Amino acid sequence: MHISNVLLVGIDSQPLAKQLERYGYGVLTAPEVDAIINVESPYALMLIDQSLVATFGGDAAERLYFLNNSVPTAVLIHNPLAVDDTLHRIILDGTFEPIYDHEIESGFVCSKIDRIFITSQFNKNLKLHQRTFHEKEMLKKELSLREQILKQERIINTNIIGSVTSGLIIVDNQGAIVLANDHVRQLLGIGDIMGASYSQTLPKEVAEVVDTLKEQASSALPHVIQKCKIGQRFLEVSGFRMLDYQNTPSGTLMMMHDVTDEENASVQLYRAEKLATVGTMLSGIAHELRNPLAIISARAQRGLTGDGADEKRVRKAFESIEGQAQRCASIVNNLLDFTRHTATKAGYHKVAEILDETLTYVDYQNIFDSITVEKRYGADLSIYGDRSRFVQVFLNLITNAAEAMEGRGALSIATSSSGPSHTVVEIHDTGPGISPDIEAKIFDPFFTTKEPGKGTGLGLAIVFKIVQQSAGTLWCDSKPGSTSFFVKLPSVKESSHG
Amino acid sequence: MGERILLVDDEVDFLDVVGEFLTDEGYEVTTAQNGRQALDILENKTFDLLLSDINMPEMKGFELLNQAAARFPSMRRALITAYDVRDYLYMAKNHDIGNIITKTTPFNFNEIRVLIRNILTGDVFGLEKYVGGAVERRAIKHAGEIEQAVTDIAQSMTEPDHRRRFRQALGEIVVNAFFYGARQERGDRKDKWEFGGELKPDEEIIVCWAADHEKAGVSVTDQKGRLTKKEILYWLERNTTRGKDGLSTGLLDEHGKGLYIARETIDRFIVNVQRNVRTEVVMLNYKRGLYDGHRPLWIHEL
Repeated sequence: MHISNVLLVGIDSQPLAKQLERYGYGVLTAPEVDAIINVESPYALMLIDQSLVATFGGDAAERLYFLNNSVPTAVLIHNPLAVDDTLHRIILDGTFEPIYDHEIESGFVCSKIDRIFITSQFNKNLKLHQRTFHEKEMLKKELSLREQILKQERIINTNIIGSVTSGLIIVDNQGAIVLANDHVRQLLGIGDIMGASYSQTLPKEVAEVVDTLKEQASSALPHVIQKCKIGQRFLEVSGFRMLDYQNTPSGTLMMMHDVTDEENASVQLYRAEKLATVGTMLSGIAHELRNPLAIISARAQRGLTGDGADEKRVRKAFESIEGQAQRCASIVNNLLDFTRHTATKAGYHKVAEILDETLTYVDYQNIFDSITVEKRYGADLSIYGDRSRFVQVFLNLITNAAEAMEGRGALSIATSSSGPSHTVVEIHDTGPGISPDIEAKIFDPFFTTKEPGKGTGLGLAIVFKIVQQSAGTLWCDSKPGSTSFFVKLPSVKESSHG
Repeated sequence: MGERILLVDDEVDFLDVVGEFLTDEGYEVTTAQNGRQALDILENKTFDLLLSDINMPEMKGFELLNQAAARFPSMRRALITAYDVRDYLYMAKNHDIGNIITKTTPFNFNEIRVLIRNILTGDVFGLEKYVGGAVERRAIKHAGEIEQAVTDIAQSMTEPDHRRRFRQALGEIVVNAFFYGARQERGDRKDKWEFGGELKPDEEIIVCWAADHEKAGVSVTDQKGRLTKKEILYWLERNTTRGKDGLSTGLLDEHGKGLYIARETIDRFIVNVQRNVRTEVVMLNYKRGLYDGHRPLWIHEL
């Protein structure tokens, strides 16, 4: 079955054409190499004259392959002695099959062409097979490599989960605990909780983290941090919302670690700063007591030296003594309230009263001698929280203001309402201002501009913490000659954080 | 009597009781609760004495006295405080104010009576103004007599506490009176001084002492009147101010420590100076526990 065409290039041989046609091949011709491109009918084999190949020189094979779309090619050799090195190489490496004149003459040329054709088909199949085999090998290798990587990653994950010193829990969307490392069991003091429901196995405060994240599912908040007290230990629990590859929530990841030591240290720092404040207050109180005591003494002496007939004077003396004694008692009580370690219960306080009380602790000091104090209190404003902590906040801010002014300038204290639920206290001084390069650091613990030994550097950090704990905010606005610290505090009791 | 006093304090109860006392003493008393009010009152009425509290809101006492002095230079001025006068020495020096009464407990009416009478009359000299009882007197003309005189006077006191304190304070003040006051030794270093020796024939240091039921008192007088309020405030302030090292700034000063030591040792340290005529240092010490509180500052320059 020979249905294919053979293209003869540069060959004009009637015996060859006849033999091919008799054999069933169609015959196409091209007078020279450049004419190959004009051949419109398909052909299965090309036969080119020896003399044409020779004119190409070294790149004959490449050019011909390009011209004839990799069709199997044979070269008709008239004179084997005239085969040059290039042709010889092409024939030897099997690119071109040689056909000799004598094969035409002997009438065997068609069987030779058949063989070339079949061989080329076989070679094509072989190549395809070889390629498939190679690709399969590559895939196999790649698969095994990926498996190794996965295995490695799994080992890394297991190592991470096992080695973190924090507790790690993952809760899926159905509320089941799908992962919990050993630390979780140690920190919470519970047994195996894998697969259990988080709400039934985790302590209430820890379970709340999951609930909070669920409630805030629509918000942009990526994580929640909560401090929990479990027995005598303090845990800091951070909850992160986990997302799958489609960015939909797939569960909650919680890290927890023991912050008992840090918590204790910060309580001690707080106490140390409080003690420093007590020192300031104590000295203020000692001074503050001298006034009523002197009055009491003066009144008593006047009452005693009256000759008895002057009943009015005696009565006035006693009334005064009673009033001044109560004043002494309230001064002393304020200090006692302040020094109690445990936080006193939160309550409503008139902000003007607290500010006035605070001023009495410091305004007798030298540094206030050339400072004018202006009060601009809004009518009847209250704040909600722990009174002694508020005293500490205002004492720090007022002292800082006076020290910033180096004892000369104007201190103004203003209160105003901010919406229905907040009161803002502004403490303003005319000092040099806070330079921009330190403005970001002023609330950092241990940051101080004072000389060594003059300040703990904790004042503003503690103030910041207290205000935060009182559900308030603290900010500062400073330019040369005008610095204000603003404390915004709740004026009503709030049910949740805000 | 009948002098007008403007009493200023933000403590209404204090104004009432002290105002009442001063009225009983025969003065015409007007009260004000702050500096602004006081200045308004001064504009409409003349006063012989402005007596003001220091620590008041809005305007402090120093500022009030300053403004009042600018308007009414002949009016006498004094401050009164419940706080420690040592803390105010810097301000006192800067405002040139030498008279600060303290609110003690028990309240010392007698002291206020004496100090106010003195400041109003200008009749300040004489130990008998401050202490009841007989006044004894001793003149010192030779440096060699100082040690013996001081010892004798201190030993004559009945309270052991008084003896110890006066021994110290009197020693400092008599030496000061002899060398600075009478002899006027110059030179920065004391080792250049000519110790020993006699004063001129017409010169002497007079030491008086007396005691009553609540206190003992000593006065030391020279006949030169060289000490000034400015100097006293300068030395006292240097010795009460602390430097960055925590030590008093006057610690290494060659002079001025005697004044400070005497003032710290004795309950009351009063200086009266009649320029170029005499300097009198009056020192009073109360029996233990009496008039607890801060020491007044009382320098009277005529």
